[in-house]
Formats: sequence, structure tokens, C-alpha cells
Amino acid sequence: MSLHRISLRLRRVATQARQLHVSGGGHQQLEAVAVETSPAAARELSFFRTTETDPACHGEVHLGQYYTLPPAHLRNAFPHGLPYRFQLQMKTFNESCVMVRQPALDIISHLKKTDFTKPAIRYLLYGLGGSGKTMSLCHSVHYCYTQGWLILHIPDAHLWVKNCKELLPSSSRPTRFDQPVEASHWLKNFKTTNEAFLPKLKTTQRYVWTKRESTEEGSTLAELVEQGLTRVRSSSDVVGALLRELRMQAGASLEEEEEGQGGALKVAVVVDGINALWGRTTLKKEDRSALVPEELTLIHNLRKMVKNDWRGGAIISSLSQTGALYSPKHHYLPQELLGEEGFDSMDPFVPVPVSNYSEKEFESCYLYYTDRNWLQHPHSRTEEGKRELVFLSNRNPTVFERLCASL
Amino acid sequence: MLTLVRWSRYNPYYLDPETNRDAYTKPDTELTPEQIEERELKKVRPIKAAVAAVSSSGFNDPLMNKFINMMMQEGKKILARDIMNQTLESIKRKQVEKYHKAGQKAKMEIECNPHAIFHQAMENCKPVIGLASIQRGGKSYQVPIPLTDERRRFLAMKWMIAECRDNKHRRTHMYEKLSQELLSAFSNEGNVIKKKHELHKMAEANRAYAHYRWW
Repeated sequence: MSLHRISLRLRRVATQARQLHVSGGGHQQLEAVAVETSPAAARELSFFRTTETDPACHGEVHLGQYYTLPPAHLRNAFPHGLPYRFQLQMKTFNESCVMVRQPALDIISHLKKTDFTKPAIRYLLYGLGGSGKTMSLCHSVHYCYTQGWLILHIPDAHLWVKNCKELLPSSSRPTRFDQPVEASHWLKNFKTTNEAFLPKLKTTQRYVWTKRESTEEGSTLAELVEQGLTRVRSSSDVVGALLRELRMQAGASLEEEEEGQGGALKVAVVVDGINALWGRTTLKKEDRSALVPEELTLIHNLRKMVKNDWRGGAIISSLSQTGALYSPKHHYLPQELLGEEGFDSMDPFVPVPVSNYSEKEFESCYLYYTDRNWLQHPHSRTEEGKRELVFLSNRNPTVFERLCASL
Repeated sequence: MLTLVRWSRYNPYYLDPETNRDAYTKPDTELTPEQIEERELKKVRPIKAAVAAVSSSGFNDPLMNKFINMMMQEGKKILARDIMNQTLESIKRKQVEKYHKAGQKAKMEIECNPHAIFHQAMENCKPVIGLASIQRGGKSYQVPIPLTDERRRFLAMKWMIAECRDNKHRRTHMYEKLSQELLSAFSNEGNVIKKKHELHKMAEANRAYAHYRWW
């Protein structure tokens, strides 16, 4: 066991020495190290895996490599964010490994340089179906979590505009509709992610829920969230109030920082399937007329959150055709999926294209599956079988994963 | 122009296609006289078109194809194929999960290849001896008879599918039921193995009538 650990450390030294491109003396050191490490199998292992678990330290050198998500971070940062197939994979392999890819690295490098005095920048991940937009989103969420940002993660905005069993008319505004189940479920997951921040932040205004219930000014956000979880009827309004508070305080705490009062509140609004906010819904009112997304409290408040009129954070989002309503399968570009209204609201944004695996990434994925004993069919381990898999999947991550599932 | 869907009506003059790629890599010297004669025949006779479900890739498995055809209802091949793929995936998931959580020694014992498990399970379910109903003097007796290889394979697959369709809880998916039954057949447990043993016992009980068989 200890021999294995030594070779792990030496492997890291070997890779770092290779990156530095030092002169003759360094090369001699590299050769000496290479002799001491274990043979080709271990070197192949380091080709597709990296021991760097902190997303802040991921760089160009880690492109195509898998890094492990620590289980503690997993439980807190992702109560609801990861795709279903990935959750199955986590359960089967007994570990959660994410590939470091270019779109995620681009977003992370932009996030590192955010100026919190300027309005929030919007990042939009777009690409063909199954190319890895949600996984890149989760990678950037992990970065934000490790850097201590407050994360507002809506895992799939499409779930809020379809298949809603209970649609209540809103208690606060006559023209709007509430979704108590979705709102309370989201509040529960929000609480799991941001336990640390909620007791420290305070409301700036008095909120009245019913004749007998109200949240006073100056009470903590933890109490606000409790109110939403216990009184499910008003949970959509609680979500609206919460978003409003965070919008105001993300900018406000910067001023506190200038007065020397301590850490700024950095807010990351992460929305997957953002084209749901400006599309159509399949929900109907009681007189069987169609519901516009604008008439839903959750969507209305989320639209305000995604506008770039507040400072002190970033908005990371991705398009999704898979869950989208009334949009054809071949649409994947921002203009097509967001529509005119959506594109005008999102403009200006930073588009981040996500493509299928490159040759190196595909190789890495193939080796990872082989290492985890996932590719069992003897023909898939041959060169010819690999060529067939490349041909059948066109290097699309989702298609490749589904192909390998039955092999 | 008629396109016939079921029971393709090729002229008997047409020969079946050879889809196995390895059959063509053998040089002439290694073939038996019958095989050389067959090859000569293929040069002159027309060949039928290959079926869409069969391919020359290494992933093609004739036993798997037969099983999918037997599972298929109302000509819905894609559905049957998807059920088969989901079965293989669920078997693999269970086994790989067990593998990763097992200790060093136990890892050697666990079989993770779903195709190997499927083949072994089918092998374990095949009966060795069968029964036929023969009439003698007005009464019909259950007589033990030898079975051909195809009959044994057919019985194993039919019992597996019938067991999964009839004797399981109504609300479980077919792939779930199949994966459970295949895994238990792999370790020689489960209802299909029980049925095979019962057939063997019946044949053993009726061995007195074995001389009623005349072929």
C-alpha cells in the first residue's frame, strides 16, 4: 500500500516536472523519477485521472482527465444538480469522477477574474444534445462551492413549466399562479447547499404572508426559509422574497467590505435549461386556457434574478432541448431555443460552446470505463471494437455512455 | 412490386448469406471438402439479402438475436432489443457495484460480463432429457426422449421468458425481472432451474416407459 502511495506522489512530481520544461539538470531528474515509478499501467492511469480535486487549480494540463468529487462536497453542493445517468454511474462505480473539459475551464477562468463591482455577467452553455453542458455546469458549481460563493442552483427550469399537479392562485397577486410543491422542494435543497450563509444574512423588509403570519425586518434568511418549508402554501412567495433579498445584499455586502466589515457575499445563479423561462408551458388554467410562463411566480422571480441589473456575482446557465416544450429536436443554438424575447432579455451574454469529445477526451473516457470494469465485452477492448464505438457514437458523450452500458 | 413482410418468399435456389467475418479469412487449404464445395456453389448461385438485425461486427451474438426474437411481440423488434440492452445494463450495474465494494479476494469470484452471465445462465437452464407424449393401447404415456441441441436451447429460452412474464409482480419492468432471473440461473437457483429439475425428475420417474420410444 505504501509503495503505491509513493509512486502516486512521484507521478505527480513527474507530471509537474514535465510541465515546467526545465533545462538539462531537470531532465536528468525527470528520468531518475521515471525509473522509480511503476511500469506502463501506472503511467496510463495518470493519463486519464488527476489527483487535483480543487477546481480552482484545474488548468490546461488537466484537460481530458477525470478528477474525483469529494463525498462531503457532493452531499452539500449537489443535493439535486447532477444528471440521472451520472447519479447511476456514481452508485455503480462507488466514486464520482468528472472530466475536466474546455468549456468548464473557460467559465472558471472568467469567474476567477470577476469584478464584483460591475453588473453580473451571464454565461450561456450551448451545444448539441448530450455533449456535456450540464456536467460542465456542475463543474463550475463545484468551483463556486469551493470558493465559498452562495449557490442558487435550479437543476432544471423545464420541471417548473410542465407536469405541475397543484397549481394555486397566488395569495399576493391576483393574476399569478403558485407552485407549492416545486418551490418547497427547491427551498429544501437550497437550505442543504447554503447552510453556512443563511444565519448570517438578514432581511431588509417586513414580509406579510397571511393575516397572522409575517416575517419581521432584520430576521435571518434561515427563518425565512423555515417559513417557506413549514407553510407550503406561501413557499413560492418565500422564494421570491429570498431572491429579492439576495439580489439586494449581493451588492450591499460589497459596501460593507469597503468599510472593512469582512467577506463579500458572492452569489452564483446557476440555471439549467434556461430556455424554459421564455418558452411556453403545458400547464392550463381552470378555464383551460394556456398559461404563459410570466404568470407563474417562480418563473417571474427567476427572470428578475437572471437580469444583469445587480452586482456581486455571476449567472451561469445552459440551454437544453431535451426537456424543452414545443421546440424541434434539431434546435440547439441560443437564438433558436431562447426565442426572440428570451434572446433580447439574455443579451448581452458570454456564449460557451460545448462540443462532442475530442480524440484525447474520448481516449480518456474509454480508458476510464475500462479501468472501472465497465467495458466488459471482449470485442470492445480490441482496436477494431474501439473504432466501431467511435463510429456509432460520433464521440458524443451521452450516446457513448448508453452504448457502453450494454456492452 | 410486392414487398413481403413475414415469411419471406425467396426462391429455394437462393442461398443464405454468411455474416461471420472470420469465415472469409480462412485460406482454401484449411477447409474440408464439403466447405470447398459450398464455396464453389456460392460463386454460381444467387444469395439472399442479409437480415437487418444481423451484423458482421464482433458485437453480434446469435444466441442473443434468438432470445430477442423470442421476446418480440407483434413485430416490435426495437422494443425487444431495448429490453435486452436494459437487462444487460442492469445485470452489469449490479455486478460492477458488488465488485467495487468487495474485498481483494472476493473480486476474483465476481463475474461482471453480462454476456458471459447470459450464456452461462442459458447453459444452466437447458434440460438434458425431455418428455414426449406417446399413445399405446388407448392410453398416452409421458416417455423420456433425448432432445436435440436446438430444442434444448429453445426450451431454456421459452421457460425464461414465460417465467418472467407470468410469475413475477405485475408492476416490475421486464428488464428488472429478466435480470433477477438470469442472475439466479447463473448461480443455479431460481424458478427456471427448478422447472428444469422437475422435468428431469419426471423423466427419471417414467424411465420404465423408455422402451415405448421407437426412434
